[in-house]
Amino acid sequence: MPAKIVSFNLNGRETEVMIQPMTTVQNLLREQLGYTATKVGCRQGGCGSCTVLVDGEPMAACLLPVENIAGKEVTTLEGITPDHGLHPLQEAFFENFATQCGYCTPGMLIVSKALLDRNPQPTRDQIIDALSGNVCRCTGYEPIIQAVQNAAQRMNGHQGE
Amino acid sequence: MTVKSYFLPQSLDEALGLLAEHGDSLLLVGGGTVALPLINEGVSTPEKVMALPQAGLSYIQRANGTVNIGATSTLTQMVDEAPFPILQEAARQSASWTIRNMATVGGNLFVPPPSGDIATALLALDAQVKLVSQAGARLVPLADFYSGFLANVMRADEILAEIQVPAPQGKTAFIKYGRKAANTPAIVTVAAHITLDGDTVTAARLALNAVGLHPLRATVAEALLTGNRLDEATISAAATAAAENCQPFTDAIASEWYRRKMVKVFVRRILRQIAGEAG
Repeated sequence: MPAKIVSFNLNGRETEVMIQPMTTVQNLLREQLGYTATKVGCRQGGCGSCTVLVDGEPMAACLLPVENIAGKEVTTLEGITPDHGLHPLQEAFFENFATQCGYCTPGMLIVSKALLDRNPQPTRDQIIDALSGNVCRCTGYEPIIQAVQNAAQRMNGHQGE
Repeated sequence: MTVKSYFLPQSLDEALGLLAEHGDSLLLVGGGTVALPLINEGVSTPEKVMALPQAGLSYIQRANGTVNIGATSTLTQMVDEAPFPILQEAARQSASWTIRNMATVGGNLFVPPPSGDIATALLALDAQVKLVSQAGARLVPLADFYSGFLANVMRADEILAEIQVPAPQGKTAFIKYGRKAANTPAIVTVAAHITLDGDTVTAARLALNAVGLHPLRATVAEALLTGNRLDEATISAAATAAAENCQPFTDAIASEWYRRKMVKVFVRRILRQIAGEAG
């Protein structure tokens, strides 16, 4: 099988990779590049644990061929996490016990980030709707919804300072 | 999972050329949200795949009262940009935000029941699909598009490039009934487009999904509605006829028996909703 070279921006850094045709972004991130925050859940697009941002839009990395992201900006949880400390969403998830086993957490954080980027003060229903593609089998969702609400308050507060 | 060849044409002409060159050996996908799960699981093992999301078919344009939807417009685009509420609602109730950002309107027409609900709204609006080949283009009413389960009237050299939707002339409504509020296949999906003169139905279009081999028009119920007052007796007769004249199936979501019951309930509900708005 002929290998292909694809260039894209990963977490702010220009990146060039050599792949087999139709390799998924999920496999590229985890197995070739060592970015393991993006999880492997169902590989069906049904659990949300592999969600990444492509030009700011949440997409399922398990269903996304690397060729499709040529020239685009991909953001993973590694790209959202500051060098020191935590992103306000991560802090809020930590403080609200919004993570138990942790497997869904990267996907939850990525989608929450995309939501708050578009809508800094989402209603409870808007949060639930945004996260409806992300499955959590531990928390019962309530702490996650709380965490997103708290993070929104915190981030809006910071903006006002 | 990898394949021998993956093509990502940058124009419809390029896509048609690749299709002519590779023919039947090429698996065509839109956003990949249905094909990739099967490929990931090893259920589908295509050697050659052509994906269309970058072929210049992602647009929603109005022209002379018709809206033209490029086949690879995403469901998110449909939520944000479709001019008719019934189309926005059908897209909003499909899948999740993440999947709506990838899944395409055209691709959704190839997804079998109990998924693929966009066609239900499009059938209610008398949409046509534009099938393009190197020999030219033809328009086919969506009502004549399906020929069976996962089967349609397309030739092997054609690509579904556009969906043309005339502006609704009457009242429209869309109800998807599933086991969860979001991100779920349908138990039954109902779309209605009813034109009234006073309280008399002059034209009725009623489309159903998840109760047949493909999304379908409830033609017997439509005939019962047309020319009659949209009152409780007519509504009840139409709901009964819709339930009697469909082919529900049993799967992990619902049983045949339950789906048939729910056709009656939700056809009645959608018609009452339209009658209520009219009153």
